Amino acid sequence: MLLPLALVLAVHGWVEAVAEWRGLRREQGLLVHAGISVAVVLFLVCIWAVTSRGYFWPEWPAFAAAVVLGVRAVAEYALRGTRLARRVGELELTRAGAVDAQEAELRRIERDLHDGAQARLVALGMSLGLAEQRMADDLAGAQRLVAEAREGVGEALRELRDLARGIHPPVLADRGLVAAIATLADRSALPVEVDAQLDRRVPPAVETAAYFVAAESLANAAKHAGATRVTIAVRRSGDVLAVEIADDGRGGADPSGGGLTGLRRRVEALDGTLAVTSPAGGPTVVRAELPCGS
Amino acid sequence: MRVVIAEDLALLRDGMRRLLEDNEFEVVAAVEDADGLVHAVRRERPDVAIVDIRLPPGFRDEGLRAALELRRTAPDTAVLVVSQYVEHAYAAELLAEAGGGGVGYLLKDRVIDVGDFVDAVRRVGEGGTALDPEVVSQLLGRRGGSPLDVLTPREREVLALMAEGRSNAAVARALVLTVGAVEKHIASIFQKLRLAPSDSDHRRVLAVLAYLQES
Repeated sequence: MLLPLALVLAVHGWVEAVAEWRGLRREQGLLVHAGISVAVVLFLVCIWAVTSRGYFWPEWPAFAAAVVLGVRAVAEYALRGTRLARRVGELELTRAGAVDAQEAELRRIERDLHDGAQARLVALGMSLGLAEQRMADDLAGAQRLVAEAREGVGEALRELRDLARGIHPPVLADRGLVAAIATLADRSALPVEVDAQLDRRVPPAVETAAYFVAAESLANAAKHAGATRVTIAVRRSGDVLAVEIADDGRGGADPSGGGLTGLRRRVEALDGTLAVTSPAGGPTVVRAELPCGS
Repeated sequence: MRVVIAEDLALLRDGMRRLLEDNEFEVVAAVEDADGLVHAVRRERPDVAIVDIRLPPGFRDEGLRAALELRRTAPDTAVLVVSQYVEHAYAAELLAEAGGGGVGYLLKDRVIDVGDFVDAVRRVGEGGTALDPEVVSQLLGRRGGSPLDVLTPREREVLALMAEGRSNAAVARALVLTVGAVEKHIASIFQKLRLAPSDSDHRRVLAVLAYLQES
């Protein structure tokens, strides 16, 4: 009586170990379990057939295996239900966050275009219109207006370039995260030490999120923390990309502030996490971990 | 001077052709992608190729890659790379391939200052260098407490213009100084930064940029 039970438990334990080792999904584990149970029972039936052929003792291990399998199947489905429910909750939250962040970003771009390049083009059109009128009787005045218009074009181009860089820096697409962060460090008014090594490119969405975590944190260090130096570290370990930005400023950053909330939403939309430690007196460390499975 | 233009946007391609032809350049070909550029340069052997950094099919840095390839395979043709944005890392790649000069890297915006742009094309076509002021200011402005602090404000202005690849006469014109005064500033800069003096404008640019990148 104890022997069949021990056998069934041994099969169960072995299946669990194999499932863990091969990284099988739950459903696959269940199938493997059923298959092995059937094989073991058939094996026992064979032994019974070639030996005594008396009392049909394999019915007991077969019964026990069926019970264990049944219990496991019921437990699996119950667990899967709660796991799925929790995941749905998480996804709803992060999706709402991502939508909000995108909304805010689009509003910012619209405002920048409206107040910047659009306004400049209007002014430009006026200067050129006036110049056209004056051309006949006031050539010097017309020339001055044309020169003004040309300067306006230069300003509008500069603003558009900054805006484009803020949406998606070209060097990030061209050369990847390490080069983009090096550029960021070069443009910064603060001395920045970069320790970034990646053996290959990570998915574009992960690159972009990591870049903006570094860019925003660097801007905060310069603007709010009064830092004198910053270090940026980028590392990949397994399927996780970690970006860490540390400064020597006065700390006290508000993790629920606008900029950091936007970053958190961006990171969470990719199933990542953002940790901010910023005690009063400093230092501030911002760390993002992003899954970048291949 | 014979020119090939590689630019995917027809509006800009035609505009640049008109601008150059008005200024006595001969535009022998205007193409829209990197393959077209390489063929046109092999066929026409122009003095200078003006190349947009972002070309079809990928719209990334195909133009820059083609320009680097041209420097190796057709060293008689100078290349001027133009772009909507400048990154000093790209400038460094171009200058590393430059060898004896004949490279330039400018923001597209610079075409609105026609005189300056035409000067830059001519300078590059004659084997000189043209580096966008924004690249230079990225290099000059990136570090607080740098060794450049030993320079006077005037010397820094001279250094910036020199790094753009301008000749002594052009620096003098831009700063409203005499050529003699510019030469004196340059000697003082080289001495303060402990750089070996150099006769060619292009070599001088390389020395200055190497210094800036290291500091």
